[in-house]
Amino acid sequence: MRDRKIQLNLNGRSVSLVAGDNTTLLHALREYGLTSLKRGCEEGECGACTVIMNGLPEKSCLILVAEAEGADILTVEGLIKDGRLHPIQQSFIDEGAIQCGYCTPGMVMTTYALLLKNPSPDEEEIKEALSGNLCRCTGYLSIVRAVKKSARIMAGLSEGSE
Amino acid sequence: MKNIKTNTGVGKWLPRKFDLEKAAGTLQFADDLRFGPELLHAAVVRSSIPHGEILSIDTAQALEMPGVVKVLVGEDFPHHFGLYLKDRTPMAIGRTRYCGEPVALVVAEDENTAREAVKRVRVNYKKLEAIFDPVKAATTNTVLVHPELHKYEHVDFITPQPNTNIGNWFRIRKGDAEKAFGEADHIFEETVTCPQIAHGFLETLCSICKQDPASGEITIWTSAQSAFTVRDIIAKGIGYPLHKIRVVAPPIGGGFGGKAGMTIEALCLAAAMDKNIAGRPVKLFIPREEVLLTSWVRQGFVAKIELAVNNDGLIQAIRNTFWFDTGISAEYGANPVRSAGYTSMGAYNIPNVWSDCYAVYTNKPFGGAYRGFGLPELMSALEVVIDIAADKLHIDPVEFRKKNLLRKGQTTCTGMPMHDHALDKIIDRVAASLKISQKEPPLRKGWKRGKGIALAIKAPAIPADASSSAIVKLNGDGTVEVLAATMDMGQGTYSAYAQIVSEELGVPYDWIKVYYPDTQSHPYDWQTVASRSCWSMGMAVKRAACDVREKLIALFSEYWQVSCDSISIEYGVIKCRKLGKNERIDERVQNGFKMPDGVLKGGPIIGTGSFTPPDIIYPDIDTGQSAKSVVHFTLGAIGVDMEVDPGTGKIVINRAVAGYDVGKAITPINVRGQIEGGTVQGLSACLMEAMAYDENGKLLTPDFTDYKIATFKDAPAEIEAFWEETPEEISPYGNRGVGEHSMIAPAPATNNALFNATGMRIHSYPLSRERVFKALHAKERGETDFWEWPYALDLAFRKAKKEW
Repeated sequence: MRDRKIQLNLNGRSVSLVAGDNTTLLHALREYGLTSLKRGCEEGECGACTVIMNGLPEKSCLILVAEAEGADILTVEGLIKDGRLHPIQQSFIDEGAIQCGYCTPGMVMTTYALLLKNPSPDEEEIKEALSGNLCRCTGYLSIVRAVKKSARIMAGLSEGSE
Repeated sequence: MKNIKTNTGVGKWLPRKFDLEKAAGTLQFADDLRFGPELLHAAVVRSSIPHGEILSIDTAQALEMPGVVKVLVGEDFPHHFGLYLKDRTPMAIGRTRYCGEPVALVVAEDENTAREAVKRVRVNYKKLEAIFDPVKAATTNTVLVHPELHKYEHVDFITPQPNTNIGNWFRIRKGDAEKAFGEADHIFEETVTCPQIAHGFLETLCSICKQDPASGEITIWTSAQSAFTVRDIIAKGIGYPLHKIRVVAPPIGGGFGGKAGMTIEALCLAAAMDKNIAGRPVKLFIPREEVLLTSWVRQGFVAKIELAVNNDGLIQAIRNTFWFDTGISAEYGANPVRSAGYTSMGAYNIPNVWSDCYAVYTNKPFGGAYRGFGLPELMSALEVVIDIAADKLHIDPVEFRKKNLLRKGQTTCTGMPMHDHALDKIIDRVAASLKISQKEPPLRKGWKRGKGIALAIKAPAIPADASSSAIVKLNGDGTVEVLAATMDMGQGTYSAYAQIVSEELGVPYDWIKVYYPDTQSHPYDWQTVASRSCWSMGMAVKRAACDVREKLIALFSEYWQVSCDSISIEYGVIKCRKLGKNERIDERVQNGFKMPDGVLKGGPIIGTGSFTPPDIIYPDIDTGQSAKSVVHFTLGAIGVDMEVDPGTGKIVINRAVAGYDVGKAITPINVRGQIEGGTVQGLSACLMEAMAYDENGKLLTPDFTDYKIATFKDAPAEIEAFWEETPEEISPYGNRGVGEHSMIAPAPATNNALFNATGMRIHSYPLSRERVFKALHAKERGETDFWEWPYALDLAFRKAKKEW
């Protein structure tokens, strides 16, 4: 196994990681210090390690870090601006969509990717987009409420900026 | 007297504690803690056979790998552990009892090396006959899973039966069941089975252990629900003083009982206490596909229930035989057996009860605590039997339940009088909201729609003396720190404690911080289980907050020279209207008040509180009778509106309505969260969950690919969650637990709705598509009941029902 240097754009900053060929993006980013990405299954089943890679939600446990060379990676740590939570994060809190919190970073990132593509999803679209993220605590209904609320707030924000 | 004003007290809807950090991704779970390059990593070598003697373990090839530090085997750490019955060793010693059991532990400089080295450990076995079927295991002694059962230490209220596979036998003998059955107008005899299921928490298990090589002191950082019970079980297991063991419990990613008691800590400790390793921290992270092979699961369940009912629709007697499949260990699983046993009348007033509840050893991964603690299994059976009886007697199922409801003053199966509750009202609301007796057309073309109801009941199944204690510290700026060793694993207890402190101390919720458990700083609490925390620890926190208030007001009383009762605390400000005084809490609460006589008085203000249930009496071993067997019961009901596709067997839940009598909702946001979450977890168990094995006892469903849990698409479109508040007498605010109860009855309610939709009864969970499809085909052949023995391995016992 060979170590190689990987350059990527992480949460808006250029960073370089040194990692072995068979290292997943999940492991490399956790080693780097981003522990919001969780090892829920390491098999692409649970979604707790979801990141946004070049605008798309990806399970970082299924990506080798070498594949991320030069990529734009956004994690939940990158959503906080000037000490303020992103409206998605705030909506999760307001709607009681968080219990243990282990799935939350992945849920938030998948929601972010959904709203990027579809700013006003209906309930079926929300369930479809998030169906690869498991949550054992909430029963999902509160998360659906939070996603709807995020969409409304973000629509309001973008109208306000026009 | 309490003279307080706050708008963030008990009963308010507020943002939950630590949700901010969870949303931001900054909250650190056990796997997120960093220990530097000294950290070693452990990985587990597992048995490849279900039962056999270990002849030899060859570790030479593993030890040759660069980076491998040590390979430990069972004999290196020959200690027995257990909460109620010490029948478990961290690694197999001499004999392996299930496929996947830890037989050796590789310790290496990094995780990859440890996992690679695991593959190089060679184990030779002499195979022994294995037993997988709990009924066969309990009724024949051809294979003994624990021939040394008579040697194991256990608590008094557990009754293992040496030279059998019975790890616990709990009995209820109330009234004269035999006579009642002899005289009854109708007798219904039914069987229902539930498979073993998984907790499915998103965070797997993770521990880091370290021993100081000089002092011998041990520190354990672990994904545990109950820091103090981990410490207690370890101390008793290895014969160590409590003060030399520190257990730090960082936030956990879901528990549901699966991180109660002691799980993997002793296995990790085996490495950390090795004389060649001591001094270096050792981490044991259990990957998803090994979770079910390393710690407990929900026990399998086989129930035979006989009900005696008279023509007037009143239940006269019930006779129960419950076989709980507890796998190779009953150390924790012995107690759900009791829990189901002393609630084996369900939510009904039944004068004559005869119950035999067994924890049965088999050569499978072991059973233990799981949300609901024996009651989801029991109600999945009993509430279906109640429905069957109602149907056969041509009585409306809601009316039949209400007619037989266990009301205030009537006695449970242990002879304890039931306290007041609002179950009548809850049933009425569920029935009305769902229009339960009204047939409605399906929403999907060609599907069949039905509605069903089931009741839930559960008491905390705790030792009679399970205690809690708390410390509330007042800081020099009026903010408050709470040390209460409950694990907030998502249920939101820390929000509840902060609201209790705000209620008692008059300081705003935002000024109050509650810390995750650390046995070094926190005072004792037994366990975060049994839906007991808001009630038991809630009592301790309330008392500690009152203690602070009384100390604070006494000091201001002397300082201002007024009586205590003319002083109030309002939104964090100390006031005396009589004198027109209005002061903030400041450093005087740390460093003392200069009193009018010139003397400095006070000093740091610390409040303490503790609570022990005052009046619980263990049920009599032979009869199960006790004047007060449990602290209280939480009761409730759920109704389900569902439809089924006869072409595929798929069930979709249109809507669920669930209500519980919580006594008082301290944090309504969490009560709603527990009801919604538990309902979906219960529906998931009902529709899709089962651990499956091949003929050698090898687990076929280790991960989320093969073990399905509900996703967004499986959740109902709507859950109407509500609660009633009939206050509990011995309780901080009249509150009772509700964390587990929402999981108890979704399965039988759905099963009853399936009957309502199709006329078919399925006696084996889960109601998977395949099984429903097969059952509906059986219906076409004229059958009315469908029953699949879950242990297809034992063909001879497939028809065991008929042999009983």
